[in-house]
Amino acid sequence: MTPVLHDWVLDAGCYRVRLLASLLGADLDLRSVDVHPGDALRSEAFLLLNPAGTLPVMEVDGSVLTDGPACLTWLAATHDAGWLGDPSPGGRAALQHWLGVSHELAATLGAARPMDMLGASGDPRPLRLAGRGHLRRLDAALARGRWDGRAFLLGDRPTIADVACFPDVALAGDCGMSLDPYPSIRLWMRAVRGLPGFVPMPGIHPLHEASPFPEDARGSGADAARGTAA
Amino acid sequence: MRWTAVMLAADLPPGAAAGTTVDGTDLAVWRSASGAVHAWTDRCPHRGMRLSHGFVRGETLACIYHGWRYGTDGACRHIPAHPSLTPPKTIAATDHACREAGGLIWVGGTGEPPVIEHPHPVRSLEVAAPPEAVARAFGAAEGVRVLDLDGRAATLALQPVASAATRIHALCARPDDRLALSRALDARRARAEGDAA
Amino acid sequence: MTIAPADRAAWYPAAPSSAVTEGHATPTVLLGEGVALFRTDGVAAATGADRRALAVTERYDHVWVCPGTPDRALFAIPEAAMPGRRAVPCGSIHVRCSPLRAVENFLDIAHFPFIHTGILGEEPHTEVNRYDVRIDDDLDEVWARNITFHQPQASVSAEGALDVRYEYRVPAPTTAILYKTCPARPAEWDVIAIFVQPVSEETCIAHPWMTMFDDATPHADMVAFQQTIFLQDRSILENQIPARLPLDPGMEVPTQADLTSIAYRRWLKRRGHAHGAQLVAA
Ligand code: FES
Ligand SMILES: [Fe+2]
Repeated sequence: MTPVLHDWVLDAGCYRVRLLASLLGADLDLRSVDVHPGDALRSEAFLLLNPAGTLPVMEVDGSVLTDGPACLTWLAATHDAGWLGDPSPGGRAALQHWLGVSHELAATLGAARPMDMLGASGDPRPLRLAGRGHLRRLDAALARGRWDGRAFLLGDRPTIADVACFPDVALAGDCGMSLDPYPSIRLWMRAVRGLPGFVPMPGIHPLHEASPFPEDARGSGADAARGTAA
Repeated sequence: MRWTAVMLAADLPPGAAAGTTVDGTDLAVWRSASGAVHAWTDRCPHRGMRLSHGFVRGETLACIYHGWRYGTDGACRHIPAHPSLTPPKTIAATDHACREAGGLIWVGGTGEPPVIEHPHPVRSLEVAAPPEAVARAFGAAEGVRVLDLDGRAATLALQPVASAATRIHALCARPDDRLALSRALDARRARAEGDAA
Repeated sequence: MTIAPADRAAWYPAAPSSAVTEGHATPTVLLGEGVALFRTDGVAAATGADRRALAVTERYDHVWVCPGTPDRALFAIPEAAMPGRRAVPCGSIHVRCSPLRAVENFLDIAHFPFIHTGILGEEPHTEVNRYDVRIDDDLDEVWARNITFHQPQASVSAEGALDVRYEYRVPAPTTAILYKTCPARPAEWDVIAIFVQPVSEETCIAHPWMTMFDDATPHADMVAFQQTIFLQDRSILENQIPARLPLDPGMEVPTQADLTSIAYRRWLKRRGHAHGAQLVAA
């Protein structure tokens, strides 16, 4: 049965799930939740589904997953376990490490974003400062991987660790944080954006550089036209 | 005019664009498919969008907002809203001197950029502290400095960004030193920022 | 900071109606000054920093405030009263840009292929055909007509790509309205507006709102569509330099596709609107 994702276009946690599903070629049955302005996460109907009142929520095979990395794990395990990384003890530990970091990113940068973007209550400044620490450590870890020729967090192929961490990092600009100081993050984001099946979300541009200029793509047609003119 | 290193050359592959700041001036730095590097004022002449958010195709940087395309000389080559129009010569991005040398990308100087002895890029990092605190922790707040960090030789090229931000681009002599140097840089940054706080 | 008389005399959205409730004050900011909004026996009211009562009117699901003495009534959107339409307020989005930049972006179609890729535009369909723009002196509004553009997914209910017709209208300095081909009823327009609340010269809150004929699409999907579009724009708006809108020619280079923007800037200047504008080329 197709998993049902209770979804909001602007939610970074839901985007993780949509992104992985698209990368895997997996179907999702999307149900929009009117989080803003409708405040639907506090509605009785939603709280009956997820008492925590948070997104994402994914219904699969009669169970309800309410944790982003849990949704990613389920999708990868059912479609392509390669996305869970290397099953060695070291590989499993590394995966758990980065899934843990993804929660930290969501709790800092991800929490500052609705304050900056929607005027949600709270002070985003300490969250941005804590987020900066995560960005610095991520950039250093990615630089280290690049010395060994690795483009992704767990090696030379993408895993759910990358998908889990990508959204809150790529959306840092939404809470007024520049990613200019983090060159390895920039290259990693580009690698993620270049994956076959990548889908953007508002605040994250598609990789326009990956497509040729339209007139170059129509090379044969242009040649024919030139032939006629001559 | 002195050259300022703005990034490690390895951090800007062909077809990439990135933003940076030198003494408060925002720049878009990009590398075309053929490998040449360019630095422009980070502002599209059309409606002011940052060009560093743009995308590179071949020998062209296109602005993300309306897709205006600029050639390597900065001149606007194509306006997608008017595909058959030849843009007037007056529409151009503002070009800054830009060179690749010694594993670094340099902007804004004349003559030859400084010679860099150490061949292996370590990483770049930003220190959020005023120049005095950066100088105390790293021995300098601008220019190029060769030093011994916990027994390992490194070259640091320092980029003044704003009144309380400096970027440090580090290279080293031996690849095996990179991890230890990277950690040492983090530790000195913590010292500089602790000093400043 | 002194605020120009024309800026004081205009109407601005100050909150969605749903945010102003009986029994407590809703604080907000207009033109850099604190405003408190109230509702008593269903009627909305507002006071300024000095507790002075401000002119208030409530329409199109929003509370509108004039910080000075209004020189006209709030503009009309006749379609809002048409039976069979659904009005959809789409939230309040905070943006670090001039309120005027937010309006100008809303009036622009040339960015669709690059910013709303696959939805409102797509390469190679980038050409903007000549259209008609005028400042209507009787209405004192900017109008752009006869715009057509190729759109891959013009609205939630559009099935496949369409050549879509557009008209734009600027009835107040920080409000723009778009009339757009209605896929369900070719004789009618979908009406999509952006009500921009000027918080300061370099920050604003955009309240997108629409009214359309569409009985089928779930409410949450209609909101999501509009939020997708506007949040794609937000990352642009926060990265234009300067943050304020240059009204004097010379600093930015317009083309024929920008005729609406040119008329909008000229109209603002002529009316003496300065808040959020950069008047001297820096
Ligand atoms: S602002 Fe750069 S193309 Fe329009
Ligand atoms: Fe837009």
